[in-house]
Amino acid sequence: MNPIAAAVLAAVLIAAVALFGRRSILIYRLIRMGKPVARFDDIRARARAEVVVVIGQSKLLLRMGPGLMHAAIFWGFIVLLPTIAIAMIGVVDQHATLPWLGQQGWYALLVDVFALLVLAGVITAFVIRKVQRPRRFAGSHVREADLILLLIAGIVVSLFLWHASQIALGINEYPAAWAPISSLLALALHHSWTPYLERAAVWAHVLLILGFLVYLPYSKHLHIFLAAVNVFFGRTRARGRLEPINFEAPTDSDVRFGAATAADLTWKQILDTVSCTECGRCQDVCPAYNTGKELSPKLLIMALRDQLLSGASTPIVPNSVTDNVVWDCVTCGACVRECPVGIEHIDHIVDLRRNLVMVESRFPAEAATMLRDVDRASNPWGKPQSDRAKWAEGLGVRVLKEGEAAPDVLFWVGCAPSFDERARQGAISTAKLLKEAGVDFAILGPRESCTGDPARRMGDEYTFQKLAKNNVRTLNEAKVTKIVTTCPHCFNTIGNEYADFGGRYEVVHHTEFLAELMREGRLKPLAGERTITYHDSCYLARHNDVREAPRELAAAAGRVVEMRRNRERTFCCGAGGARMWMEERRGRPINEERVREAAGTGAETLAVACPFCTVMLDDGVRTTDAKLQVVDLATLLAEAVDRRRARDAQVSSADG
Amino acid sequence: MVLTADNMSLETRHLGFTMSPHEECGVEEAVRLIEANGGESVVLTLGPPEAIEQLRDAMALGVDRAIHLQTDGAEWDPEGTAAAILDAVRADEATSGTFDLVFFGNESADSGGYQVGLRVARALGRPAVTGLKGVKVEGGSVRCEQEADGGRDVYVVPMPAVLTVKEGLNLPRYPSVPGRMRAARKPVAASTPARPPACLELVRLVVPPGQGRRAELLGSGAAAARAVVEMLRSVGLL
Amino acid sequence: MTVLVLMENNEASLQTLTLARKFGEPLRAVHMEAVQPFAPDAIAAILAMVADDLDVSSVFAAGTDRGNDVMARLAARTGLPFAANCIAAEPVDPVTVVRQRWGGSLLEDALLRAPRALVTVPPYALRVTDAPAPIDVDVKPYLTRIEPADLQVQVTGHVVAAGGGVSLAEARVVVSGGRGVGSKEGFAIIEELAGLLGGAVGCSRVVTSAGWRPHSDQVGQTGTKIAPDLYIACGISGATQHMAGCKGAKRILAINADAEAPIMQNADYAVVGDLKEIVPAISAEIRKLK
Repeated sequence: MNPIAAAVLAAVLIAAVALFGRRSILIYRLIRMGKPVARFDDIRARARAEVVVVIGQSKLLLRMGPGLMHAAIFWGFIVLLPTIAIAMIGVVDQHATLPWLGQQGWYALLVDVFALLVLAGVITAFVIRKVQRPRRFAGSHVREADLILLLIAGIVVSLFLWHASQIALGINEYPAAWAPISSLLALALHHSWTPYLERAAVWAHVLLILGFLVYLPYSKHLHIFLAAVNVFFGRTRARGRLEPINFEAPTDSDVRFGAATAADLTWKQILDTVSCTECGRCQDVCPAYNTGKELSPKLLIMALRDQLLSGASTPIVPNSVTDNVVWDCVTCGACVRECPVGIEHIDHIVDLRRNLVMVESRFPAEAATMLRDVDRASNPWGKPQSDRAKWAEGLGVRVLKEGEAAPDVLFWVGCAPSFDERARQGAISTAKLLKEAGVDFAILGPRESCTGDPARRMGDEYTFQKLAKNNVRTLNEAKVTKIVTTCPHCFNTIGNEYADFGGRYEVVHHTEFLAELMREGRLKPLAGERTITYHDSCYLARHNDVREAPRELAAAAGRVVEMRRNRERTFCCGAGGARMWMEERRGRPINEERVREAAGTGAETLAVACPFCTVMLDDGVRTTDAKLQVVDLATLLAEAVDRRRARDAQVSSADG
Repeated sequence: MVLTADNMSLETRHLGFTMSPHEECGVEEAVRLIEANGGESVVLTLGPPEAIEQLRDAMALGVDRAIHLQTDGAEWDPEGTAAAILDAVRADEATSGTFDLVFFGNESADSGGYQVGLRVARALGRPAVTGLKGVKVEGGSVRCEQEADGGRDVYVVPMPAVLTVKEGLNLPRYPSVPGRMRAARKPVAASTPARPPACLELVRLVVPPGQGRRAELLGSGAAAARAVVEMLRSVGLL
Repeated sequence: MTVLVLMENNEASLQTLTLARKFGEPLRAVHMEAVQPFAPDAIAAILAMVADDLDVSSVFAAGTDRGNDVMARLAARTGLPFAANCIAAEPVDPVTVVRQRWGGSLLEDALLRAPRALVTVPPYALRVTDAPAPIDVDVKPYLTRIEPADLQVQVTGHVVAAGGGVSLAEARVVVSGGRGVGSKEGFAIIEELAGLLGGAVGCSRVVTSAGWRPHSDQVGQTGTKIAPDLYIACGISGATQHMAGCKGAKRILAINADAEAPIMQNADYAVVGDLKEIVPAISAEIRKLK
């Protein structure tokens, strides 16, 4: 036991812990100052997320290469944690170690193997960053990342050197045979200076670790503590649901109209920003960023973090975040899906929008018309509600009158099919198929008003809640229990968000419903010659996990080929986040990007399951002159059903 | 246009209500003037109980208080309307002082009588300028711009004055939600004036017969361009 | 029956005579230019004095901005009712009128109970008929009887509109764009076609609300009411508010992607499809001719 070493270690340890502690407390206080948000429900689901996402590294492994690299380092760190204690003991007493564990051969083996994996991981990381140079790091603090990787490398290299020199000196407490790599290294270390190497290595190891500890809360590497916490507090309820504002708070100043300054952010949002590790996976999948817009989800979170840490009380927009960034977002959720540390970027964007729209009235002028129309005319097209059932004329569709009891299924049409000539087709086909299958359904007609989704996504929560409450009243008065809708936005809003306003219904997307009818044999299709590629709607595939039912319909109608970005990886059509009503002023059009991808599959039919995707992609087809026909899945199914009927008629007449 | 069974009004089920566009610009102008000069603004309407929504909308833009002359929904002719407004303005001025400016829409979007503002102005003995697209207060006068002959005519009148304005005067702001919430609590003074017999008396509404135009389809898409040009030549425009 | 008409130097006044003649002939006229610069209260005062002196049974004017302005003042100062924008009237007792509501999209049958009928006639509603012109009243004696108070509201200056180009209200051809145009920049093709036809550019209310075009381009009930020889409506659905501004057009060509859009019921010609393809194609065809 070396008393001087012990004293020095004690001093350094205390200093390191103090510095680390001071900064950590600052960050903790910063988070605690955040506005409240309810994230303490469903502990089981949260625990499950910890196991799957954190321990299991599930989000990182979405990209195999970098995922394995990170998993190696992560799991390595977990296995190597006890070696910190062992090293500190070793600094004080060369011949001591952690009782029991320090002597276990199997642990020594684990340490050797995982230390090597960590080193391999670090080398891979350097290769990725310096040779491959992925674009997702554009804007990140690369020097900081390099330093961290060097520190990690230093930590494991010093560990190997220490173990190897211990073995060379014969002072290892664990059986050397169980530490093959260290033993191998030891062969080269039989020199007179080995004892000095042994001391130097163990001191270096401990000092590097303590230095790393102090550096942690000042760098983005803080994620190693916070990521696990942030994942725990992630959404357990539906991903597509936004947190409502309570306008009935006791005084006006108690109402939180989104976020104007850093002081308005919730603790979860603050936690989000300090968990960010600048990996850029979100940036990589963002449709706005990848079509030349200003928005990068990563840079947004970093900017918010910087404003928070600087303590500035100036408005976030336009000082840290420009207006363009706030409005570029299509709320597709690709960023949230990719983020390995559980950041929920959409909540940040929507809160910034809420303040800009509801308090400052500062938003793209063309959207003002839409908001006014939604408020006064009850639909974003500003067309008369009395015309809402016109699309169904001649189809024999029942319009549910006031006071009548609801049928088995309420077909919620949505504003787009009611008022847009292209979006109408899917609803018409759906109505025909429902009738053919003998489903007892009706539509609300003029009593159906906009669900409020475009207002909500724009940040006008006030108008949204007015519409939501009205719709819930209409639905509850009619005692509706089951709703089928062709629009994924209506599907998401009614199914996930109306519960906050007293509306609890079983909500099914038309593709799910039609697929079930197919399975039950009530609709009999015959596949045709079309080669079909299906575009997953963000609000179906990502926010609500509806991915396979649409494919059942596509497969029943023709031959299916997939785009590279399919299912949860889908690339937005560009209409989400109320962007359907805003102009795309910079960069390349998002819809054209997706149309090019679809055309690249060689398919001539682009199947869609959403009226907005229909309009956006059809526009994209026209402007790019693509050889594609945009068709709703319901229409494709209707075609297939007609085809089967025609064939059956031929067959029977041939027999007859 | 769908009428009620008695042909005396429009069928308003499933219709939303709003302020007339001319009047919305008037409200916005009033709010801007108070923001620039200090003072108080008041919004007034003659209408059924539901019309309070429009008063709240005006107060959400920033108007301080409202006067609601409640009717039972029956038609009031322009003279009756003006008389009721006149009484209300006089009553308010007796307690709160003279209005430097009273704004009206040039004409109402629905009945389009073009006269209420001018009648009130005459009875108050104040100068009135109509159809304004520009308003600028300069000291104790107001400089008014009215569209005419490919430009604008300028009038300068002393205050107190009455102005009737047109859409295009300004771009009304989008009301903030805190503004709307405050508006819900701002004072509304309600009264129920008696409706005088009408001198311009509505007998019935009539939906005009279709113009008789049946669109001749010249074609679809860019391919129709030639047919369009043929049509243009046939009517002598090319 | 003596009928007094307030005349302006425009077609609308001549159209007004068609209705005025039903109430009595010969017609007597006072001209809007009687007081220069224009002072509406002064004209109204003159009309009131003349009407009393000639014991006039009814006073007519065109339902232009100035016409409605002066007539409303006349009604106010003489305590009489005033029926604005009448497309029809019968000289019975009480006088029956058919008035325009909603810019003409709805009509009102009404009774005008008054010892003297005050009526304006909206432009573009009636046709000019061949008949002797009204006899002018000698206004000189009345000019001296105008009170200073009636000259308080008087034009003191004129501001010329910025930018040349064809005036929307006077253009023979108007090419108009609506929501379907999509953006401010999208109007380039509209401007191109208007230029080739020597016409003006118009737009719907959605467009001005979005800030793509100034309000002075807006055609509609609360914008400018026009009656060109040809109105080309691109990407305009045909809402009532808008139609009120353009139904006076001799011919309407609708270009719209929606074959069921309301404007199709109000148009003489239609092309269905994407205006972004159609409008440039028309411009190209026109260029070929030139």
